[in-house]
Amino acid sequence: MSKRLIKLVLFYIILIGVWQCLAFLKVWPEYIFPSPLGVLKTLVTGFEDKTFIIGILISMKRILIGYGISIVLGLLIGLLIGRIKTLNETLGTLVLGFQALPSICWLPLALLWFGLSETAMQAIVILGSLFSIIIGADTGVKNVPPIYIRAARTMGARGLQLYTKVIIPAALPSIISGFKQGWSFAWRSLMAAELLYVGLGLGHLLMMGRELNDMNQVIAVMIVIIVIGVVVDRLIFAKIENKVRERWGLA
Amino acid sequence: MIKREYEQFQFQGEELKKLAEIKPHKLIDLRGAVCPHPLNVIRDTISSLNDKEILQAICDHEPTAKENVPRFSARRGYPFGIIEQNGLWQIFIQKIEKAQPRLQVVNVSKAFKTSDGNFTALNEVNLTIHQGEFVCLLGPSGCGKTTLLNLIAGLDKPTKGEIWSNGNRVTGPGSDRVVVFQEGALFPWLTVMQNVEFGLKILKVDGKIRKALALDYLKLVGLDEKFHNSFIHQLSGGMKQRVAIARALAMEPSVLLMDEPFAALDVYTRETLQEELQNIWSESHKTIVFVTHNVQEAALLGDRVIVFGKNPGRIKSEYEIDIERPRKIDNPEVFLNTKWITNDLREEIEGSEYEDEVRGVAQR
Ligand SMILES: Nc1ncnc2c1ncn2[C@@H]1O[C@H](COP(=O)(O)OP(=O)(O)OP(=O)(O)O)[C@@H](O)[C@H]1O
Ligand SMILES: [Mg+2]
Repeated sequence: MSKRLIKLVLFYIILIGVWQCLAFLKVWPEYIFPSPLGVLKTLVTGFEDKTFIIGILISMKRILIGYGISIVLGLLIGLLIGRIKTLNETLGTLVLGFQALPSICWLPLALLWFGLSETAMQAIVILGSLFSIIIGADTGVKNVPPIYIRAARTMGARGLQLYTKVIIPAALPSIISGFKQGWSFAWRSLMAAELLYVGLGLGHLLMMGRELNDMNQVIAVMIVIIVIGVVVDRLIFAKIENKVRERWGLA
Repeated sequence: MIKREYEQFQFQGEELKKLAEIKPHKLIDLRGAVCPHPLNVIRDTISSLNDKEILQAICDHEPTAKENVPRFSARRGYPFGIIEQNGLWQIFIQKIEKAQPRLQVVNVSKAFKTSDGNFTALNEVNLTIHQGEFVCLLGPSGCGKTTLLNLIAGLDKPTKGEIWSNGNRVTGPGSDRVVVFQEGALFPWLTVMQNVEFGLKILKVDGKIRKALALDYLKLVGLDEKFHNSFIHQLSGGMKQRVAIARALAMEPSVLLMDEPFAALDVYTRETLQEELQNIWSESHKTIVFVTHNVQEAALLGDRVIVFGKNPGRIKSEYEIDIERPRKIDNPEVFLNTKWITNDLREEIEGSEYEDEVRGVAQR
């Protein structure tokens, strides 16, 4: 473990070192190739004058609202498709089709429907994550070993109880994977959408960097976006996923 | 308390054959287990034996290998008696009140739809099981044992026929009939305790009582306390089956349906669990329907062994196993019964192979 950590730290030190050297040697002009120090300075000022914090908060608010709606809708639809044959054979195919669509492709449609607005941002997040969540829940439900349901039924479980006490828990590993994938799709498409929308989100800050020819800001915002993505994915979803898989005996 | 009344039948000489006309009903002894009807005893022998021999057979039956009827005798307290007075035979058959069968399978057939038409898994099955009986369903793979168990459990519906539980038509699962599956039916997202409490929670049993019951039954099946809060994948196969049995018992069902619960276990664990199951059964007076394809296990555990045949699945024959309990696996009587039943089963398997061969030749 610690050996791995040393390798990791060394790698990044060398990477940043090489980067700093190249920048120092001025091989390329600074507006094309910024230095790590410059980026760091921009990061610090960005957080000090709160533009980055506001950007993060605004983007987070958008994704949390949209993603929350997606979870509720996606779970509901996924569970129904997984259990009801007719729905699976009809709505299920539509979901599979939409899932094949890269989520950013919803952008033009959202813009046409809602204009460049807060609603469009939300729509992008919802549409970006909904289908992964549906499919995660659907797969989970379909793969619930029938013996669990039989066992529960002989112990008197009926109707809704079967969902809450057996089907959802049994499908949880797959549901969580769907959540995880849905989140990363939503995050990506939101960032792309914010590039076009003057709404102070992180994507907008990125675009502002380009407009001001401020390469430091571009890189700094990219780092912020990466860090948020990694933190949520690795520290939240991966943790939950591992815990669930371990408890379910799948690990 | 059971009131004892006797039906009296008198026979003289040749008339003894009239015994065959007595309405065949099952008799239950004081334990609640089924005893052989005298008619069953002589069914096979009546044509070949004379009167005296028949009586001898009833009173103290020593089976020949062909008869396949396990040993039993009037002296063992079965509720029938026979007296001979001056050439007049009197047979007393004890009538018992409330002889309502616990489970009744009436003319049940089950067909499954498959890609190439209907497949008959069970054909015209009739079976009556009384309160407190330990019945083993035995047969080769694919003869419909699990199918029948699922029908009794109410997890599936018969294509034809009816199933009755305690005088009520079975239309769905009921917590008076709980199934212990072969394996893999414990919920991995719950701890051992939570698994055992699952059914009680559904029944809305109060938390304290629930916990107490769960602890009781986990103790009964002999699961070490340190595993009570483990997750299922952390247990060995034997421990899992213990938990599965505890989970079913905790519901306090009057009927326990067990589908090859010990099939996946090693010999030692299986023997221990078989012993424990016998103890649980004799203490709890439960009705147990136990599916197995292990003849020895059936002969060891069952009061009655129902042998199934294949193609289509049907009841082929039935054995009353009258051996004192608790039985040990090395009991010579268990061994004898195992041998008889095995011979019977071998006939079934070889017979169908022979048929297949004939059919194969005919096709060529
Ligand atoms: N849902 C189903 N659809 C189609 N065929 C089925 C279905 N369930 C069982 N069968 C068939 O019915 C027959 C009896 O199956 P069943 O599971 O009852 O056998 P079994 O006696 O329990 O065998 P084993 O000892 O192997 O468990 C088998 O041939 C099986 O293929
Ligand atoms: Mg089976």
